[in-house]
Amino acid sequence: MAGGLVRVDSVFKRFGSVEALTNLTVELSSGTIGLVGPNGSGKTTLIRLLMGLLAPDAGTLTVLGHDSQRDSLRVRELVGYMPEHDCLMPDLTGIGFVAFMGRVSGLPREVAMSRAHDVLEFVGLREQRYRRINEYSVGMRQRVKLAQAIVHDPPLCFLDEPTSGLDPQGREEMLGLIRALSKIGNHSFVLSTHLLPDTEGLCDQVLLLNAGRRLASGRVDELLAVKNEDRVVRVKGDPSRFVAALSAKGLTPRLAEGEVRFTLLQGDTRPVFQAAFETGTEVRYLGRSVSTIEDLFLSLVNVVPVGPPT
Amino acid sequence: MTISAPRYGSLPFARTERAFRVLAIMKREVVRRARWGTLLAVGLSYAIVILMVVFDAEFASFIGNLTTATFEAPFESPVWPFLMLIVATTAGAGTIAEDVGNRSITLYLSRPIHLVDYLAAKAAACASWLVIAAVGPGVVGATIVAALGLAPAAVCLASLGAFVVVGLLAAVFFTGTALAFSSLTNRSLYAGVGIFGVILSLYVGAAVVAGITGSVYVPYASPVTDLRSVALTVFGVGGTPDTDPLASALVLLGAGVMLTGFAYWRLTRVEVVGE
Repeated sequence: MAGGLVRVDSVFKRFGSVEALTNLTVELSSGTIGLVGPNGSGKTTLIRLLMGLLAPDAGTLTVLGHDSQRDSLRVRELVGYMPEHDCLMPDLTGIGFVAFMGRVSGLPREVAMSRAHDVLEFVGLREQRYRRINEYSVGMRQRVKLAQAIVHDPPLCFLDEPTSGLDPQGREEMLGLIRALSKIGNHSFVLSTHLLPDTEGLCDQVLLLNAGRRLASGRVDELLAVKNEDRVVRVKGDPSRFVAALSAKGLTPRLAEGEVRFTLLQGDTRPVFQAAFETGTEVRYLGRSVSTIEDLFLSLVNVVPVGPPT
Repeated sequence: MTISAPRYGSLPFARTERAFRVLAIMKREVVRRARWGTLLAVGLSYAIVILMVVFDAEFASFIGNLTTATFEAPFESPVWPFLMLIVATTAGAGTIAEDVGNRSITLYLSRPIHLVDYLAAKAAACASWLVIAAVGPGVVGATIVAALGLAPAAVCLASLGAFVVVGLLAAVFFTGTALAFSSLTNRSLYAGVGIFGVILSLYVGAAVVAGITGSVYVPYASPVTDLRSVALTVFGVGGTPDTDPLASALVLLGAGVMLTGFAYWRLTRVEVVGE
């Protein structure tokens, strides 16, 4: 795919005094990508920019090799979009709605109807497809939103908080649908979420955003490997003395919520036990502090200075 | 739930052009607006205009005084513009407001169409209902008169053309008005009240102010007066209209276009994707 899946180059976007994105540069390749960050971190703004619905103040964005500003129609032909909020057309039936969105995406009438049946069956709304959308439950609405996003078979799909408002079972089912879709060749997904566990086991790449800035991006396994030397220790006894002893051994421990976090020196764990011995504390737990994307995000938020926009 | 996703491989067809996507939106919007209020106003418009045209033509034919001016009768009554106002309100008030209200505009604009395509589709749908209500009855009436042999074909044809001119002018103006008010709010009720209130206020207010001040410019502010002036002229009715017909036509066209432009400007301010 020429130009990769998504390329964002030095993008700035400001809304009044709020800096939504600050010097964002990132390149993502095909796959399932988690766009992760807290509310207000710039996830939706980035999607809007990528779809050409907003213009950046500076920088360029390329989607599937097409400039999202100059060639926004072509970009929107090639992407599907599942918005976070409820935006359905309540007067239509499920099948009528999905077929209509297919037609507006450029599908001929017969093809749009045929695909609407296919995707509604896939998302589990086969029996409910002739019911009006205003009779649908929250879970069914999320499913029909997913159906309209994939009806035109886009190679790239933006899913904005797809599990929003779902109960645990509905959430698992929605993630299962996305997982099944992601296994189809040449189909990529950008999954925007503030629920970091949603990305676990689903995304092979991740872009972590906080306050409009990129914290990290890349393959999940590589990102987690980089932080592989980070450890967390829980001790019985006085943790502050234990921290002081660790510091004396050249480590840089941080005490937070009763846990001591630090980075190993050359993989050597002996200083931990020496410090425990010297301070009379007992090591109750020693493990990697970063084993999930959530851990990674939290560790990066602590490390990367994020000041107010200047 | 099925366990396998639909697989298509490659797209085995050519995508439709933008014009067809706009047409798809327009068709849905036309169907969506076929509500009882719209249908009732359109039905009344047909009944009243056809009856007036046929009876006036029959009477004029009887006394041997049938000209194209005979067909102007519907525009002498405030009923016709009132029905157009109802159609504009019922078919146009929700056209943008409902999409903004239920946020489906997000989905429209995430598709491969421009904002101007969306607005064009909405305008075309609203204008379609107005054309059906404004042009159709006169055309049908003139055709019936011709079919009954009440008037020469040439007179009927000229009248038919006059109905088309006045009807299209009304459609342009009322479409622009409906789109502008619909873009101002996310409640179709508010937009409808706005359309109805402003047009009626202009009609009554302009007459009152013109009566007090004697100004020759104030009557141009009334769309009903403007339409009547144009109708008097194109149907060849004698006498002096309250306003210059050409200027009135330009006022109606200009207002329609400017109000549509205003609706476009408003749409550019709509948040497409909520944070």
